[in-house]
Amino acid sequence: MESPFPKSSSAPGEGRVVAKLQPEGGSALEALAYQYPLKLISPSRPADSTKSVLVFLLSYGGGLVGGDSVSLAVDVRPGARLSMVTQGHTKVFAPATNTPNLVTRQTMRAHLAPAAALCLLPDPVQPFAASVYEQTQVFRLAPDASLCLLDWVTQGRSARGEDWSFARWTGRNEVWAVSENNERLLVRDAVILDGAQPPSPPHMMPTLRESMHAMGVVGTLILRGPLVKALADFFLAEFAALPRLGSRDFRSDSDARRDAADEPVSDLEKWRRARLLTERTTRLLWSAANVRGCVVVKFGAPAVEAGRLWVGAMLAREGSVARVFGDHALMCVR
Amino acid sequence: MDPKPTADENSDEIIDEIADLERRLAAAKAKLARPTTIDNAANSLAAESPPPPPPIPNSNSSATHFLLLLADSALPLGSFAFSSGLESYLAHSKAFPPLPSSTNSVSNGSFAAFLPVSVTSYASTTLPFVLAAHRDASSSAFVSGSGPRLARLAALDDALDATIVCTVGRRASVAQGRALLSIWERSFAGTVPAAGAAEALKPFVALLKSSSSSSSSLSRELPPPVSAHLAPLFGAICQLVGLSLEQTAYVFMLGHVKALVSAAVRAGMFGPYQAQKTLAGGTVQGLIAAMIEREWGTPVEMAGQRVPVMDLWFGRHEVLYSRIFNS
Repeated sequence: MESPFPKSSSAPGEGRVVAKLQPEGGSALEALAYQYPLKLISPSRPADSTKSVLVFLLSYGGGLVGGDSVSLAVDVRPGARLSMVTQGHTKVFAPATNTPNLVTRQTMRAHLAPAAALCLLPDPVQPFAASVYEQTQVFRLAPDASLCLLDWVTQGRSARGEDWSFARWTGRNEVWAVSENNERLLVRDAVILDGAQPPSPPHMMPTLRESMHAMGVVGTLILRGPLVKALADFFLAEFAALPRLGSRDFRSDSDARRDAADEPVSDLEKWRRARLLTERTTRLLWSAANVRGCVVVKFGAPAVEAGRLWVGAMLAREGSVARVFGDHALMCVR
Repeated sequence: MDPKPTADENSDEIIDEIADLERRLAAAKAKLARPTTIDNAANSLAAESPPPPPPIPNSNSSATHFLLLLADSALPLGSFAFSSGLESYLAHSKAFPPLPSSTNSVSNGSFAAFLPVSVTSYASTTLPFVLAAHRDASSSAFVSGSGPRLARLAALDDALDATIVCTVGRRASVAQGRALLSIWERSFAGTVPAAGAAEALKPFVALLKSSSSSSSSLSRELPPPVSAHLAPLFGAICQLVGLSLEQTAYVFMLGHVKALVSAAVRAGMFGPYQAQKTLAGGTVQGLIAAMIEREWGTPVEMAGQRVPVMDLWFGRHEVLYSRIFNS
């Protein structure tokens, strides 16, 4: 039997979260432990505790200093629901000048038991100039477990002129399907943003900033499992409904207006038109694909806020996250 | 008048005539002699160093032969049907022209800007799988039995399938991988000199056939065990026909560049001479060499996308109004 008390974790930066289903229904924490520089907080009386238990992923000083290593183990017991959020961007500071290659690491290993659900919708990571960061997140899902995962990174402190000015950022997200006697990698989404260029004649390789194509934020949303299936289908349907790029309207303006007036417009269609207009003006690009039973959504936008508003609007419109995990799961994307 | 000078004059004329005749005779003799001399020279050269006839079958010349076949544009992989995001990139550059404030060279919709971005992205996502499959195929485990050999190639294929997070990219990779596997089965396997090579991929083919015919019986939501992606099969097949690791990597990357350049020609970006100029240029050679050097030691678990916007261009190829390519 598991101890009811938080397990002591000895190494710096290590943490552990265990969420369980309470006998009377609703989720609660079975364990919550952490060591500097990691800090985990769970509000004592969250308003939405009947839907999911909420944990804040924090760090002392609001960021990770060069060389920090954070390693978090997450267990979601059968039927339990856990939401994890942050408070503001996860800042990654540059290492000291005498150790320029010192890597800052953040690792999460999560195991989701049958019918368990995890919603991880944090603020984006904001790597400062010259920082070196590696993030690895591995999610092991038992049958019928559900995962909603957002991972996004920004250009840095744009107000200070930073524009993908860090030394290196790598992010790797893995989703595994596990059963009693088998495990299978479903998705490995890896992004390598490297400021260092291979030694080649000048002007041959684009710089990191050039290859980001004027994006200020890029992100990935990964969805799997029965509780987020409706949300996953929503993204696929909206992607399929995107207007064709390069298509032309051959009607005259007056015809188009008359057609638009005659056409009965559903609520969804109105919302979609407004969203498409916003996507166009904010130059937000996104795509969605079904990858081996997971839906992977990729997006990028020149402005971080445009990316946040878009993700928030999509999740809010469909409603699964608020319904399954409670409104508090969405606090970073509002 | 004294006849002597006349005789002298006559003899002078005769002397001149003789000299002239001798000169013409020598010229005619030289004319006659020239081909003979060349024949003699050729004969003497041939006699000096007759080239040794190449031993047949020769494993080196066989590898060179297959190198040329695999590098040939006529290799029926169907590469011409794929633009690797170029078509989508062009459409997006047109629909979202760069802002006046932007000094971003990648945004300008030119092939020169797209090429290095595409090459770095393709290398970082797929080249580690080519190298790993070649190394696996050349290791003793591959040769000794079909069990581990099959397992490793299938594992690479499965891992790559999990890494390609977009429908369009997956379709392009699998279509070309299956085409290459067909070429191997129908055309190459029977003619490769290396012992055991002909049988090497049979278990993989069997697994592919069984998984595509009875995918429902395996598991209700797990993907099929193998998909036949291009990169791992390319690595394994190049090893089987005797290409070195370096050659394999080079041909693989050059094939990508050739497909891009051909797509650019078909999309009307430039003509065939500019295309050859691009291919022959030092930029392409330097790029490929730099990519091979960068990915030489990258484990497949660490392969990843270096150009996130490439995933967006690839994925959004599906929302283009008109398309001439499949990717």
